[in-house]
Amino acid sequence: MRILLICLLFPFIASAQGFQVNLQGQVQQGMASAGTALMQDASSLFFNPGGASFVNRNEISIGTTFTIAKGAFLEHNTFETAKTTSPVSTPFTAYGLFQIKDSSRLKLGLAVYTPFGSTVQWEDGWTGRFALTRLRLLSIFVQPTVSYRITDKIGIGAGFVYSYGSVNLQRDLPVTQGTTENSDGYGRVELDGTGQGFGYNVGIYVEPIPQLSIGLTYRSQVNMKLNSGTATFSVPTSLEENFPDGDFVSELPLPQVATLGFGVHPNSKLDLALDINYVGWKAYDTLAFDYANNTESLVDTKSARLYENIFAFRLGGQYALSKSLRIRAGVGYGISPVQDGYVTPETPDANRFNYTLGLGYNFGDHFTTDISMLYTTATREDTNLETNLSGTFKVHVFAPGISINYKF
Amino acid sequence: MMQLKKYFCLSLLGLALACTPKIESEEFSLGEVDPTSYVAIGGANTAGYSDDALHFRGQQNSFVSIIATQLNQVQNIPFSSPLLSEFSSGINLNGDSRLILGYKTDCNNETSLSPVRFSASGDGNALTNVFSDGPFNNIGVPFMKAIDVNTAGYSNPFYARIASNPASSSILQDVQALNPTFFTIQLGEHDLMEYALSGGTASTPTPVNGASGVGFDGSLNEVVQTITSSGAKGAISNIPDILNYPYFTTVPYNGLTLDAANAQSLNNVFNPLGISFQEGENAFTVEDPNEPFGVRKLVEGELILLSIPLDSVKCNGMGSIVPIPHEYVLTLDEVNIINNARTGYNSAILNTAQQYNLAFVDASTFYNSLNTGIVYNGVSLDAEFVTGGFFSLDGRNLNPIGHALLANEFIKATNDKYNSRIPLANATSYPGVIFP
Repeated sequence: MRILLICLLFPFIASAQGFQVNLQGQVQQGMASAGTALMQDASSLFFNPGGASFVNRNEISIGTTFTIAKGAFLEHNTFETAKTTSPVSTPFTAYGLFQIKDSSRLKLGLAVYTPFGSTVQWEDGWTGRFALTRLRLLSIFVQPTVSYRITDKIGIGAGFVYSYGSVNLQRDLPVTQGTTENSDGYGRVELDGTGQGFGYNVGIYVEPIPQLSIGLTYRSQVNMKLNSGTATFSVPTSLEENFPDGDFVSELPLPQVATLGFGVHPNSKLDLALDINYVGWKAYDTLAFDYANNTESLVDTKSARLYENIFAFRLGGQYALSKSLRIRAGVGYGISPVQDGYVTPETPDANRFNYTLGLGYNFGDHFTTDISMLYTTATREDTNLETNLSGTFKVHVFAPGISINYKF
Repeated sequence: MMQLKKYFCLSLLGLALACTPKIESEEFSLGEVDPTSYVAIGGANTAGYSDDALHFRGQQNSFVSIIATQLNQVQNIPFSSPLLSEFSSGINLNGDSRLILGYKTDCNNETSLSPVRFSASGDGNALTNVFSDGPFNNIGVPFMKAIDVNTAGYSNPFYARIASNPASSSILQDVQALNPTFFTIQLGEHDLMEYALSGGTASTPTPVNGASGVGFDGSLNEVVQTITSSGAKGAISNIPDILNYPYFTTVPYNGLTLDAANAQSLNNVFNPLGISFQEGENAFTVEDPNEPFGVRKLVEGELILLSIPLDSVKCNGMGSIVPIPHEYVLTLDEVNIINNARTGYNSAILNTAQQYNLAFVDASTFYNSLNTGIVYNGVSLDAEFVTGGFFSLDGRNLNPIGHALLANEFIKATNDKYNSRIPLANATSYPGVIFP
């Protein structure tokens, strides 16, 4: 209990860029989510399938991160402030890594994780409500993986990704309803849908000398296709014909990520890790909604997003205080994929530093627990070219997480 | 202090308590503006007349009330409008109630969404004098011309309602009695509008030049000179292109759609008069005493007024076999008269603003932006009738959201001129057209 408390007092990091959530392993989260060239546990299935073959035992790991994001928006003309009341989101991970027989070069694994998603809820009546009142985005990736240690110094791995996602977007419509004068009863629309997509995750892990490890991974783009979303309109009775409830089709690209990682091990107690990510956000060019029942008022929409490909850097370290206790820290820097003029209340994104701390503790031979904590803040001023919403977004993110690992 | 707060937040991290981010806002200030006695002078917009009547919701959301609300964020000021009862049906010069959106069945027995009167008749009691409930900062008088501002005993029921002495007082006298320290002026629209609303059958617009009570420039000068004589500061706006209001743009000049048979039967009648029709779109016919047979087709640039009886057009051949009566049409000559007068008024307004060093509001440019459409915080607005979301149901005056945007133009001009920092209004918090 004492240890747990101490750990929780350390801010730690998970980084989010765009609507990507980088919370896939508590060990790595303690080190700014660097880990492509470290092969420490079953979460290597995500971070580097090539490195998974170097993990020595069977391992099952489950974890979650309580992501608390608080946002605010200062409108630049009225100087009115709006706040988010987003609920705590809990991206989770579940990894299972198995060897066919002892000391086998071949490992089989199954990874389930949530690499994209968040819920943004703006306060009632805020001035940007015709752009967005609430967005819930969730994706679950299921990744069966094969990892093979070619030599004692090289491992390769590949995973097939099946992804399932859901999106729920709500915003107000600028049509006033009601018989009461001065009514503020604006219409609203809710777009709700689920989709799926496919992709892969491949990696290579090399340990040229004991003091150095190198990892290179590529996670493919996954196009989440929402083929039968449901649009529900709440509008004045006289306009119901103009806004018929019905199906819509949309698509959201979850970008490809290439990562080059280095691990340095100066002595048996210290590990340092550096990851350089290149994220293919350029794929998020347009957010389009194609409605099945078009009317004069309800036309298909295409909103430019024009995201840019970006780099992110993650630097972290781990130090073993004793045989059973490790402490970690890290710092990350991410460049925002969102250009000026395209910042939206969905993802008020900015270049940002992430700071993380973490801790790992062994309970005997079989059980390990890792905890981590992330803190990041971002501020972005913009005037959106589509909605003309002009102001400053600011967000604070705190994300404490925990995982429990069983090795056998 | 900020640092302390920051560390306090950070120290709470472990408890998973996140502080909501605070974004530093700019300090508001009044600069050279002294809003202690804000007086608004103007016509329909200033009064909050909309939906073709004076009524509570319109008055409450007049752009000048919204300016006062914003001034109040910087310094508490009194601002009072001569409000009708919240439950009043509203009143206009014909004794009608205000317009609301409802359902109307036309001569073809087709029912559709349309502006209809809130009740069979207007609120007759609303026009009794309420001066003793004042003082009122809002001296907006619908249908007031610039030349009427200093007319003693000015005969206008909306002035008589708020006059200190309906038989003998003038608007300008009543303004002076309030000792204004800050003012907004919108004058001149009705000097054009009376002629425009009559389809060019009323007397021509107020002359640009002339003494107070006769010409626009002299009348305006008297108002501004009087009100600034004890150092008051204020903002004045020019006049938008009223002919781009939905009242004049909703019914197209060439809205007569004919099939081959109808075109032929009209040709049988009109060809001998030198007028021909074709299948598809045609210009409507209009009365014209200057033509040999008293009828011709409209030409591009001529405008049909929203007052045209649409049932007559749909079912009784108005605009085809029966030419449209002149009172529903502005011909090219009449359009020119209005445009020339407006140009003259607007240069007089600009000169006056410069001469008296006032904040100048370019309402004309602002309204023009609505013709192509604007997007305000995700809300699309344009100058279309009803669907545009900017004009009220009378097609001439503004909705509350339109008033909020106009108020912001005044506040921006004031901030620029007087080094003040008055926050703009959040227009999305004001209602648009209310749908049943």
